[in-house]
Amino acid sequence: MASETPPPLNIHALPTTYLPTQPPTPEPYAPHRAARTPIVIDNGSTTLRWGFGTSDTPAGGPNAVAKYKERKTNKPLLLFGEAIDVESGARGQARTPWEGDVLLNFDALENALDYAFINLGIDTPTVDHPVLMTERLCSPLHSRALTSELMFELYSVPSLTYCVDGIMSFYQNNLPAPTDPFTENGLVISFNTASTSVIPILRGKGVLSLAKRIPWGASQASEYLLKLIQLKYPNFPTRVTNVQTNWMLHNFCEVATDFHGLLRKLRDPLNLRNSEIVVQFPFALPVTEEKTEEELARIAEKRKEQGRKLQEMAAKTRLEKLSQKETDLQYLTNLKESKGSESRREWVSKLQAEGIDNEAGLDEVIKKLEGDLKKARKKEAGEVDDGPQEDPSFPLVDVPDADLDEEQLKEKKKQKLMKAGFEARVRARKEKEREREEREVQERKEEEERDMDFGGWSRKLRQEQEALMAKIKDRARRKAALTDRKSAAAQARMKNIASLAADDRVPKAKKRKGAGEDMFGADDADWAIYRKINTAAASDDEEDDLAQLQMIEQKLLMHDPTFTPKHTHAALTTQRSALMSAFRPLYEEGDIEGRTRIHLNTERWRVCEAYFAPGMAGVDSAGLAEVVQNLVPAFVESRSRPGTLDFPADRAAVVQNVFLTGAAARLPGLAPRLHAVLQSLLPPGAPVSVRMAADPARDAWRGMAAFSRTAEFAAGHTGVTRAMYDEHGGERVRRWWGGNWNGELPEDARDQRMDVD
Amino acid sequence: MPPKGGFKKKVPSDGTETPLTPTLAGQLSYLHEPRPFKNPNYTKNTNRRAKNLKTVLGQERERERAERETRRIQREIEAIDNPELLDEVFEEAPTYTMIEAPPSVIPHKHLCDITGLEAPYTDPTTGLRYHDKNVYEIIKGLSTSIAKDYLSARGVRSIVK
Repeated sequence: MASETPPPLNIHALPTTYLPTQPPTPEPYAPHRAARTPIVIDNGSTTLRWGFGTSDTPAGGPNAVAKYKERKTNKPLLLFGEAIDVESGARGQARTPWEGDVLLNFDALENALDYAFINLGIDTPTVDHPVLMTERLCSPLHSRALTSELMFELYSVPSLTYCVDGIMSFYQNNLPAPTDPFTENGLVISFNTASTSVIPILRGKGVLSLAKRIPWGASQASEYLLKLIQLKYPNFPTRVTNVQTNWMLHNFCEVATDFHGLLRKLRDPLNLRNSEIVVQFPFALPVTEEKTEEELARIAEKRKEQGRKLQEMAAKTRLEKLSQKETDLQYLTNLKESKGSESRREWVSKLQAEGIDNEAGLDEVIKKLEGDLKKARKKEAGEVDDGPQEDPSFPLVDVPDADLDEEQLKEKKKQKLMKAGFEARVRARKEKEREREEREVQERKEEEERDMDFGGWSRKLRQEQEALMAKIKDRARRKAALTDRKSAAAQARMKNIASLAADDRVPKAKKRKGAGEDMFGADDADWAIYRKINTAAASDDEEDDLAQLQMIEQKLLMHDPTFTPKHTHAALTTQRSALMSAFRPLYEEGDIEGRTRIHLNTERWRVCEAYFAPGMAGVDSAGLAEVVQNLVPAFVESRSRPGTLDFPADRAAVVQNVFLTGAAARLPGLAPRLHAVLQSLLPPGAPVSVRMAADPARDAWRGMAAFSRTAEFAAGHTGVTRAMYDEHGGERVRRWWGGNWNGELPEDARDQRMDVD
Repeated sequence: MPPKGGFKKKVPSDGTETPLTPTLAGQLSYLHEPRPFKNPNYTKNTNRRAKNLKTVLGQERERERAERETRRIQREIEAIDNPELLDEVFEEAPTYTMIEAPPSVIPHKHLCDITGLEAPYTDPTTGLRYHDKNVYEIIKGLSTSIAKDYLSARGVRSIVK
């Protein structure tokens, strides 16, 4: 990627995993023993929080347990919460009480509650404390029945009160004076893990008949982010996990006040680049052996030395051979000279001992040796051997066969062949020379042209280049069109094939008469049709075109300063648009650091936008704004259908006073966005306030604790006693301002007090 | 290369290597903590594990329907004596399935499946929405399975033609 001035990247490294802390030492149980201090449990789908109603802050941890056998010691272990992360083996065995938005796994719940009660230090035979516990808004009765069963039958609690976490967080942030009833109005938006609930509160009571639950929560958002990342980085070297995307969601994602306005802004690649956040995953650089200069020099020296040795050896053998040949020559010339002095027979036998038949053979050998020696000496002197300078003669070729004997005929045949070869070589040489000359002439011509009219020359070449590129593009387009059976190109091809296969291109009657004969092939261009219908074979034209293109581009690159490598066909086809490279910058092959980076830009807002339009992530449900919009008629007189509303002032206050709670409420930009949404829905000039809980994650527990300290809770009109449980079953609850309405006790049982004794 | 099996991955413990001190996981385990508060005579509800999410929600829906039906019949019987009761608005107890937000009826602007920007166009062959011609170039190069993945992120199940 060649970018001009890369702005500094907004890089964030993934957090390293941390070791869980030891569980906090529980506060002493002694003051609570037999004191019936209420126990407050916020059974959230991500986090379980517990504590006595008298404490300020809850103890808690991720709501999950893992039962597994440690491999080293073979001891069974049971871990809760953060402790699960200690061992990778345990992580696979982790079970959560919640399945998405529904409390379903009661084995896990039992183990988690065990942990909570152990942590509270309870050492009596029963959990002798009234329990105040959260449940899901309009919880399925199955979940409630089994939770009640655990509480009453396994832990033997004296009474159990269920409440809705969002309402209790609202209560905590609008605490009335200790003796006053709770009468606040507001619209609670509770951001849970797997859902988001909107609960109107009128005069301090949850109006659950108007409450709505959107099946989109932080877990879906982080899963959506994971999906988007996987699509954006299909070949990412490490596995991205849900935990990591959850971290990204809570640290880098925001709710846009005007999402579509923002998207229009991000259309500009520059803005897109500026908006990005880079997440650096851990990576290991490959270890490259660093050699010092000294070592490198030594290695080079060694190599040189070896080369020299080899050269020397070769020279030595060459010399040896030469001297051998010289002595041979000497011997043979001596032999030749000694012909006169010795008897013929002796001489011939000597010759034969050397492997030579007669005098002519001897002459030949001597000649050859002389030639070799001459060549070798020349080479040694550094001259280039050009081979025999004079043309070889072929005397026998032109002599008629009749004048020759058998031996000569053979010789003639040989000479003929040699002559043909020689002539062919000469011809080829000439041809080459001619070509070279032609090229030179052409180059000179082109050079002249270039010198005379550079603009024209360049224009011409560029036009040629463009034409070639268009041709290649056309071919690619046609190829793409052929993959679609219904395209015009594919249909035309089928038509061609059909007409070629058809026998009656010429009507039969005409054929018989001999007139109108099939003229296919009369024109050479007719054969092109076969090329045209052949889709599989890569066309040679393609290669030719590419070669020519390369030549043209090289010329342009050499002479035209305005033609840069950026303008070549290769560069143009691999070029990515500025937008795409801003969306996902590419790193080079070897850049391991860069390749373990995730660039987040549009995703940062896109993921949060799904709270307002779950449809974009495939969840067919109204979003937050639409749900609130649907609520407005029930609370604003001017927007409702005819028919008066009770407490119109209070009702109006409900939708003007929006309260955000739940851990995901911390997403930046949520409050301004909802403010804008409400302002557009409510009558002009209506005062709108959007507030977030002081501590969105823990205020529900705190509100419950505060409520457990009130006289109202102590009076026992909110919960179910053991006796009621035995009578009516675990699904039944009392209806009160902070709890669910479904599964209400039958009318005759409603007035009983909660006290047990 | 270390010899095979020579090094065992150490548990991230606080430097304890002798088998006498338990690992951190061992320390954190609460399996053997006493639980005096538990009723030893309690037998697990067999219902506990039998149901999955689907059956629980189905049951909930079924129960809601049955309850509404009995209530309707009851009101009709009561209305024979007291016809005004029919006009009274009865406040139903909301249930888990009832409070689910309805499907969206507001039209939402389409987003580019690749970049997340606004998408005025749709590719007819894959059904992917795209922002501009640069993104279209990329869509054209996508294999069908990857295009399907992009669609499934939007919750579109592809139909085999």
